[in-house]
Amino acid sequence: MPDDALGRAFGVPARREPVLPNGVLGMLIFVATEVMFFSGLISAFVIGKSNAVGGWPPPGQPRLPVEETALNTAALLASGVALYFANRAFKNGSPNTKRLLLLAIALGGFFVVFQGAEWVALIGEGLTLTSGQLGGFFYLLVGTHAVHVAAGFIILLYTYSKLSHDDLDRFTFWPAQVFWYFVVGVWPILYWQVYL
Amino acid sequence: MRLARVSVAAAAVAVAWLADLAYACPSCASPLEENRQAFVDTTVFLTVVPLMMMGGFIWWLRRRIRAMEDAPEIAVHENLLRDAGPFSKGR
Repeated sequence: MPDDALGRAFGVPARREPVLPNGVLGMLIFVATEVMFFSGLISAFVIGKSNAVGGWPPPGQPRLPVEETALNTAALLASGVALYFANRAFKNGSPNTKRLLLLAIALGGFFVVFQGAEWVALIGEGLTLTSGQLGGFFYLLVGTHAVHVAAGFIILLYTYSKLSHDDLDRFTFWPAQVFWYFVVGVWPILYWQVYL
Repeated sequence: MRLARVSVAAAAVAVAWLADLAYACPSCASPLEENRQAFVDTTVFLTVVPLMMMGGFIWWLRRRIRAMEDAPEIAVHENLLRDAGPFSKGR
């Protein structure tokens, strides 16, 4: 059967689906560079931690809020799960897509706001970028991740806006998901290394 | 010609003989065992991560291509492909 035989029957040309849409390929390449960027930061932190005189965390520095951030971690992971189900609903053309996507965005927003409040409290306790190795590494690692969460949040909002206008296609939705899954996936590693 | 080859080989051997350990490893001289271990761990980590990413991507791509080859050809209307989002404009 020739390639366009089916298409001819419907009066439209047959198109072979791309193995990987351009947007997804571009996002995957970007995420790969981001993975290496974070790997470098985490490696520097691990070495800095192992080299610290007097143990880690350094004495005299404020303690990081481990339990509160565990809750925040759960919110971010739940956001990733909600996005996964939103994609499934989108594939099936379910009206739940909007609700699930909104839930993912809300949980991502909660993470950003909660982290902002945590930073304000820590700065109040004296943990700043220049207060020592802990503060320097903390704001560098967690701050870099926060910038990515904020960017992902904006991308998800854009996706939601397209969905609201009935204009969302999977070529837009898929790269947004790739980025958000990266943001969600890298956080537990940072939490484990920095907070625990 | 032969003399030149012998000279080059002799020079290479001499360089190999004269070379000493280049203490370029910043952790080799560290008195902290934990620090030395951290350098080894992060070196392994930074070596393995890109290889795993590339390997994983190739494996996934191969699976996807095979799955697409097995799937029947479908007709896609041009209108559906016209605006494929901000990452795929002009497809």
